[in-house]
Amino acid sequence: MSASNGNRLTPEEINRYSRHVTLPEVGVSGQEKLKAASVLSIGAGGLGSPIGIYLAATGVGRIGVVDDDVVDISNLNRQIAHSTESAGQPKVETIRKRMLEINPLIRVDIYNTRLTRENALELFSQYDIIVDGSDNFQTRYLVNDAAYLTGKPLIYGSIFRFEGQMSVFHPHREGPCYRCLYSNPPPASLVPS
Amino acid sequence: MATETIKLILGQGEPLIGRLMLYDSLRMQFRDVRIRKDPNCELCGENPSITELIDYEAFCAVELPAPSGQSPEELDAAAVEISAADLKSIIESGQSMTLLDVREPHEWEINRIDPARLTPLSKFEQFISELNREDEIYLYCYKGKRSLTALKQLQEHGFKNLHSLAGGIDKWAEEVDPSMPRY
Repeated sequence: MSASNGNRLTPEEINRYSRHVTLPEVGVSGQEKLKAASVLSIGAGGLGSPIGIYLAATGVGRIGVVDDDVVDISNLNRQIAHSTESAGQPKVETIRKRMLEINPLIRVDIYNTRLTRENALELFSQYDIIVDGSDNFQTRYLVNDAAYLTGKPLIYGSIFRFEGQMSVFHPHREGPCYRCLYSNPPPASLVPS
Repeated sequence: MATETIKLILGQGEPLIGRLMLYDSLRMQFRDVRIRKDPNCELCGENPSITELIDYEAFCAVELPAPSGQSPEELDAAAVEISAADLKSIIESGQSMTLLDVREPHEWEINRIDPARLTPLSKFEQFISELNREDEIYLYCYKGKRSLTALKQLQEHGFKNLHSLAGGIDKWAEEVDPSMPRY
């Protein structure tokens, strides 16, 4: 993820990200790493919304979003990328619109499809980092396995009611994967719908 | 999660690798616990059995075995289910009947069907002694699944005249009472 010449910051970008580039931990070189980076976000819902918005605002150069759902009014209490007027539209469309409103200098690629065993490896191989904001166990295990098989680090998070959990899985380098933690899904009848 | 992503890109700070962060918003507590690689992990362990993507629908569809001592007989749902329209005409006919709402109190607050009585499934056993075996008993829940569970419990106590609202109160709101709030 080192910045090549094509990822040099323009004056416009230096200005937009000035509160980053003045941090010693980031600097111009760090912001160039962000510009050169690509991140794939799974889901444009409760987790995917703020993830997409923050990564866009931060200046991650290429962000992909996968989701096959459309916006429902009952999503709007928590899925903050979408708006009342976007009800009925594909979530990936409305989140891309919001991300580019905040930061038109990045690229947002959207996939209005369900993540499946057929498309996951091909999709993951095009990105540096995978972020999982999915809401079901089938997708969570698929994301974990596909991230491992393509050698990508995975940012994992899940929420239920008032509680949440998060970790980073990068078993090729160190540490466990999701299966090390939960080798099997809960029985289907215990999974809240 | 966005912050962890950015840290990985920048190579700054300590990522959550090997740690599980737990967040409890009601207590407003963050805790993190160490998590270890499982050497027997089927994916990233020493002898992995998963070397390509699998069928995740099948993998996640696994059910608990039925507890021993419980009758393996399945309930014939179709035989005890009643449609929203039929329940409505029975209520309107004024005939003697008992209508039980087996949802939880926070759901009862949102909507209910008159003249139902609230008997949550979580405490259902304690209401059974208060019911009359001779009554025609109609049960409903949100989508029609919990009411079948309650109905089965009543059957096991020897009740006979039992009915369950197919599709639950959600179906009722859709088909019979469009003015009812839905959730």
